[in-house]
Amino acid sequence: MQKKVLTEQSIYYGNVSMPKHWDIDRTELSHYILQSNLTDTKLKFSKTFDKLTTYIRDFINLKHNINLINKSTWGNIYKPNETTIPLLNIDPVDLRNSPDFTMLYGVEVKECNVRIHFDDNRRKGRSWDIKLENNMFIMFPSTNIYYITNNQKDSLNFVQTITYEYI
Amino acid sequence: MAHFAKISENNEVLVVLTLNNVDMHNADGVEDETVGQQYLETHNNWPAQMWIQTSYNTFRGTHNNGGTALRGNYAGIGMTWDEDDQIFWPKKPYASWVKHNASASWKSPIGDAPELTEEQITQNTPADENTLSTHRWHYVWNEENQTWDLTNDLA
Repeated sequence: MQKKVLTEQSIYYGNVSMPKHWDIDRTELSHYILQSNLTDTKLKFSKTFDKLTTYIRDFINLKHNINLINKSTWGNIYKPNETTIPLLNIDPVDLRNSPDFTMLYGVEVKECNVRIHFDDNRRKGRSWDIKLENNMFIMFPSTNIYYITNNQKDSLNFVQTITYEYI
Repeated sequence: MAHFAKISENNEVLVVLTLNNVDMHNADGVEDETVGQQYLETHNNWPAQMWIQTSYNTFRGTHNNGGTALRGNYAGIGMTWDEDDQIFWPKKPYASWVKHNASASWKSPIGDAPELTEEQITQNTPADENTLSTHRWHYVWNEENQTWDLTNDLA
């Protein structure tokens, strides 16, 4: 008896472990996210952003043999006790130009929960919850709907999203 | 053209980049690895000491064109940098195999596979260009028994 895996839905997550003294400057990223949200402009490119996205690409390639290229990026600020609307980063009528993976990075977060929905054959609408922490990333297929919740009442949550296409 | 391997904190090769030779020239116009490392740190946001020069023409401790071998093997993604021995190691093929520094390769605990006999070599060779060989003899490592097993792929 043999088995062929036709497709796989995986979630990759972990901390961004940069070399000593080369940590991601999360204060700078949160500054750019705030600036981009206030001025309603694109997130500014920075060396810090490049460090982050290169780390993700390099290690996903090394550990999982998935070769990624950047599609787009943006940053969000979530208010205390806020739950987002269902988020989906593909355009169902323009799949050709849609990303393959969505990566969430915890820039400055506290009690931040991510709920990712998936279908397990006929068992549709299942979900998996994971807590997003500072300097942590979560990457999953962009075809999955997800929600982000700020589960506390004291501070804002800053989350950076980067979408990728694999080649 | 020079090649540099970007390594992780665990000494795994993440990526290999090429660099113009002039980008690693020092003030005297001589190629200097540290200059190349500094260039890569500036332009690729990764610490200079974690960029290690590697030679495209080096394989198993020898240089293909008769030059000087550099660091055992040309680095590739997933290989491991050994700072003590100054060698890029490929993945260990079997748990029992050990490092052989002179050839920058892994060896079985009982050494290389035995040579094929004249008869086996003859059987591996097609009689002429219109026929196929009758056998395909070669030795395969048997990790369980720690032996080299003679195998014929065409059997």
